[in-house]
Amino acid sequence: MSLAIEKLSVVYLDGGHAVQALEEVSLSLVPGQCSALVGESGSGKTTLGMACLGLLPASASIQGSMAFHGRHLYPFDEKAFNEVRWKKIAMVFQNGAANLNPVHPIIDQVAEPLIQHLQLGRKQAKEKAAETLVRLGLDSAHHSHYPHQLSGGQSQRVLLAMATILNPEVLILDEPTSALDAMNKGIVTGLIREAKSAGKSVLLITHDLEFAVKNADTMAVIYLGQIMEVLPGADLLVQPFHPYTLALGRSYPTITTARDLGGIRGDAFYRMVHQHVRSNGKTYSHTHIQVPETSHKNGHAPPTGCLFHNRCTQAIERCMHEEVALEKVGNHEVRCIRHGIADLLELRGVSKQYDQTAALQSTDLTLRYGEAFCLVGETGSGKTTLAMVAAGALQSDEGSRLFEGMDIRKGDRRSLARRIGVIYQNPAESVSHRFSVLEIVEEPLKIHESALSKGQMKEQVRRVLAEVHLSTDDAFLARYPHELNMGAIQRVCMARALILEPSLLVADEPTSSLDPSVQAKVMKLLLDLQIERGLTLLFVTHDIGLARKIGDRLGVMLGGGLVEVGPASQILTCPSHPYTRLLLVSVGGSFQEDLPVRTSLGAEAPRGCPFLTRCRRAQDVCRRAKPQLLDRDHRRVACHFPLGSPSQ
Amino acid sequence: MHLRFSHIVMRDPWFVIGCGLAIVFAAATFLGPPLAPFDPWDMSFTPISPASARHPLGINDAGQDILSELLFAVRNTVGFGLVSGMMALAIGVLIGVSAGWFGGVTDMILMRVADVLLAIPAIMVLILTAALFRPSPWSLAMILALLIWPSVSKGVRAQTLSIRQSLHVKAAAQIGGGKWYIIRRHLIPELYPLYLIGFAAKARMAMFMEASLAFLGLFDPTRKSLGMMISYALRYYYMDIWWNWLLPPILCLSLLIMTVTFLAISVEKVLDPRLREILGEETA
Repeated sequence: MSLAIEKLSVVYLDGGHAVQALEEVSLSLVPGQCSALVGESGSGKTTLGMACLGLLPASASIQGSMAFHGRHLYPFDEKAFNEVRWKKIAMVFQNGAANLNPVHPIIDQVAEPLIQHLQLGRKQAKEKAAETLVRLGLDSAHHSHYPHQLSGGQSQRVLLAMATILNPEVLILDEPTSALDAMNKGIVTGLIREAKSAGKSVLLITHDLEFAVKNADTMAVIYLGQIMEVLPGADLLVQPFHPYTLALGRSYPTITTARDLGGIRGDAFYRMVHQHVRSNGKTYSHTHIQVPETSHKNGHAPPTGCLFHNRCTQAIERCMHEEVALEKVGNHEVRCIRHGIADLLELRGVSKQYDQTAALQSTDLTLRYGEAFCLVGETGSGKTTLAMVAAGALQSDEGSRLFEGMDIRKGDRRSLARRIGVIYQNPAESVSHRFSVLEIVEEPLKIHESALSKGQMKEQVRRVLAEVHLSTDDAFLARYPHELNMGAIQRVCMARALILEPSLLVADEPTSSLDPSVQAKVMKLLLDLQIERGLTLLFVTHDIGLARKIGDRLGVMLGGGLVEVGPASQILTCPSHPYTRLLLVSVGGSFQEDLPVRTSLGAEAPRGCPFLTRCRRAQDVCRRAKPQLLDRDHRRVACHFPLGSPSQ
Repeated sequence: MHLRFSHIVMRDPWFVIGCGLAIVFAAATFLGPPLAPFDPWDMSFTPISPASARHPLGINDAGQDILSELLFAVRNTVGFGLVSGMMALAIGVLIGVSAGWFGGVTDMILMRVADVLLAIPAIMVLILTAALFRPSPWSLAMILALLIWPSVSKGVRAQTLSIRQSLHVKAAAQIGGGKWYIIRRHLIPELYPLYLIGFAAKARMAMFMEASLAFLGLFDPTRKSLGMMISYALRYYYMDIWWNWLLPPILCLSLLIMTVTFLAISVEKVLDPRLREILGEETA
């Protein structure tokens, strides 16, 4: 452990009030490993980087400790810092060229640390500097240029050269890639790899999640100065445990996630610390977290509780009051009262039989808070049945259904029903043709909130209609479904599904009756609502293209069971089940099948794999035993011979 | 119930004609006694006189004013039809909805009872009852209702079964709507066409039945009825009385039946928004 940060808190003082930039951050840098610190702007990432070099301004009040190879740097020790700064711990500052001195040629600036710290001669220093710059891909023609003559990428390389020239043990990179294109990012990646293999520790501070995933061994997700989750680097985009990590990953455009950018709902709190001077001269401080809209004087949000609760998709009453600490969950560390992203709905071994056909065969399905789960598969694979069982519109023959961990059979069905909104495949038939728009949207309120007055109900109907971008005037409210076009009816149905503010929205092919332009509008609306309301979405579709745009996770159904479940981006770029691959091939796109597949729908084997008759890889065991869903990387696959691992 | 009810309905010829006739018959029914120029039981006039200014439809064989007689007869026939039709409808809907919604044993028992009743000819039972027990006309109307509900309940049951499976009922149940809520809000309104058809058919049948029984002379002979008027008029058919004595009751009976039918058609259009749209297009 080269650099150990222990419960470091930083408060920027500014007159009467103060801003909490970091709160009890603990982080260890291990030689030969790269740790990444990711989070939104203003989360305190850079403050931590600066703190590692002892460069925080005088207005910062620092608590906690930091040690470099056992030598304490904090509580602040100027002498210790002077010894390690730049020689042992170096940093590439944010904002590229702004950190360079505009009146000196770059070669002089790169050579300066050598002259300053190692007392090398000028010529010798320049030679070494030139060598370093060339290694970083900046050829000698540029060496005598001034900073303003360089491009952003070139300046970044100069900064990298300055930071690495003294061969420090700890390298801190603060947004090293923000000015770089993809090609130049490769150079930074190479540098990090080189540093790692030389046994150095790297702290990568970045909001570039894809770059972080590529380089970091461990990762800390920071929000408003608190570390929310510590996780293995590769898990960031595919297996986040904290709702914030999920939302952050959803906001980032990687090359493989096809889902539309989600963003994180709401705005972050301001963190203020109030200083009070007691009569004995001592000061004490306490923290307030403050909602952005309310000004400082008008009141304070509760001083305790999870910092993320106002934007969280799974916040409960306790989140607002109880302090949470990082705790170990699996191989992650999570700061969440609910131990990371919780399960909203769980189906265990549900089966459903229609006369002779088994529509569902002992299927498990788990929906987590705030995620969009897509069910795909061919017609008759049981998608709708599964979704309707999940929604409670259909009773399963066997198996149990848990909502927020509570068995629904034991719970009150009526009160659970209001937590789940359903949008049906055929919007016009899902509402009574004798109801006007007002009556359609109002119906859930009439069932569950019968105490409301007529005016209040109408007010709520207007609000929710406005949310789905429909007219709210009386003429529209008095219209009947047959007087509306399909897109409008579907949005009326959405309004109806949303009026009770459910936690789960089940949408069964909601756009199959719409033309592409209306579909685009409805889908955009649905996704926006999902993000803004923090809904969990179960989306059923046979359209893989649409599923790509919606799903965080994907479930592929075949013959009444799930054959592959996992992160949508992984499954769609690299399917594991031959059936998934066949689906993707059928859609076209980038998948080209080198050999023809058998597409005949033969009689399905009673015991074996449901894909048996169409599978090219089928062997004896496939005939004998039905494959079980087994964990594989970040997904679950039901196949005896799954297709190559995702890395291939 | 609907904002544009009157606007749309007034443009429908079925409704206008049906309504016109209904007003005439309603007036005859409710205002019959004061409107009648003479007491229909007063036999003090010259028998079998042709129409005159004093007696617009002349005098019958017993020396009674035919117009006064007709007004009282319409009143009796309409009353009998309405009571019997409504009763049959109420019983039929209650039993049909129960059988269709609850199913199982309830359904089986109720429908077997209905089958038995369907096999019994109502007119025979009615003739025998009237001849043997001489019940009041109101009792007869109720007995008739008890005999003719099965065809209403069969239709209601079938429709209930189909609506029960429809998506909007399932959607309402998913939201958490209870059994009674769904029956009240989704099922009962959906059955409107059946009520109207059922009521129209049963009221027509009952009015016709009343006329037939009276024609056969199974009612109290002093009770005025369209059937009895026709029966007496036919006895003097050889005399030139057909237009003033025979035609009026026949015309009244036919028009009564048409009125019920026309109104049922037009109200059904109004209550079903989809039919109303077609109607709106036609008349626009």
